Amino acid sequence: MTALRSRPPPRLSELLRAWLGIGLQSFGGGSSTLYLIHQACITRGWLDEAEFARAWALVQISPGINLIKLTAVIGYELRRWPGLCIALAGLLLPSAAITVLMTAGFAAIQQQPVVAAAMRGVIPATIGLSLAMGIQMARGLLDHARRDGRARLVSHSALLAAAALLYAVGRVSPVAVLGLAGVAAVALLGGAPAALRRARGRLRP
Amino acid sequence: MNPLLYFWLFLKGSLFSTGGLGNLPFLHQDLIALGWADETDFLAAIAVGQISPGPNGLWTIALGYLTYGWLGSALALVAITLPTLLALVVVALHRRLEGQPIVQDFTRGIALGVVGLSFGVSWVLFRATVSDWRGVAIVLAALALAASKRVPVIVVLALGGLAGWLLYA
Repeated sequence: MTALRSRPPPRLSELLRAWLGIGLQSFGGGSSTLYLIHQACITRGWLDEAEFARAWALVQISPGINLIKLTAVIGYELRRWPGLCIALAGLLLPSAAITVLMTAGFAAIQQQPVVAAAMRGVIPATIGLSLAMGIQMARGLLDHARRDGRARLVSHSALLAAAALLYAVGRVSPVAVLGLAGVAAVALLGGAPAALRRARGRLRP
Repeated sequence: MNPLLYFWLFLKGSLFSTGGLGNLPFLHQDLIALGWADETDFLAAIAVGQISPGPNGLWTIALGYLTYGWLGSALALVAITLPTLLALVVVALHRRLEGQPIVQDFTRGIALGVVGLSFGVSWVLFRATVSDWRGVAIVLAALALAASKRVPVIVVLALGGLAGWLLYA
């Protein structure tokens, strides 16, 4: 995330508006929240695909809810502590309030056939959303790799597929999958190629 | 109910776990043992967490509301927010070490692992919740709408709900 400092930081009012939007619109739980955060980062130019992937990776190796950590990290990156407070408040206050109201209402309508039928449509829609985001993030990482040569594209694709299979088929815990992916990458990739290092060096202030 | 102990149980759950439902085993064990929650509280809270806005982890707030009212949801909100500040330490540490090729490779591996995991999670969810062509059609339609980047997420979800109502009711 070193490249961040080369861009002008967004205004706090823009941050508040963006995170309130995410907090209010992300019905459907975590998949839509992550989708909207990703979209905001990319379209507003807060982070590029590689930076987003790195932030999302780093927050998964500390305790707590990943999306709240991601929000805190992005807010802090953009505008330090005020940015962090505004991002967290914007994401959490509306969504927590709506969650409490829905909790109060849910027990009452849970059994209604209309509600149950609509839920059977919402859940597959959230799966479609998270697939769309996964494809977009995979593309970001693999495009990076392709520029460094075919060997890296193959090793990157293999790591990605292995992580998916370990979790989906092998039922390995997510933390173990990430640890294995990190170790395997150190063994397989053997240091970033010189071209990549030079490119990174240029981004540093 | 002792509010301090209540808060500590929620904080402990977030401090020693990761991910939206990581704190579930902790809270389940502690609150049930104390008689402060029952199984139906957990089921309702998790269901609300799946559809309400925000991270799935907000199911914890729903559980707070069901077991201790508004105070419970407020305590739960603080308890799930505080531990996230530790992520800033991880990011700062990473920044100090990121010049090392070995750290770059490790981080790249985790990033690839995270994307792989998201496909794995989608697959597990798909197997658990989609049982017929109607569900497959909704998944693909939502994927196409999201990939077009022209349709807001809330519209995709509303269309999903509408399709569910038309196809299943």
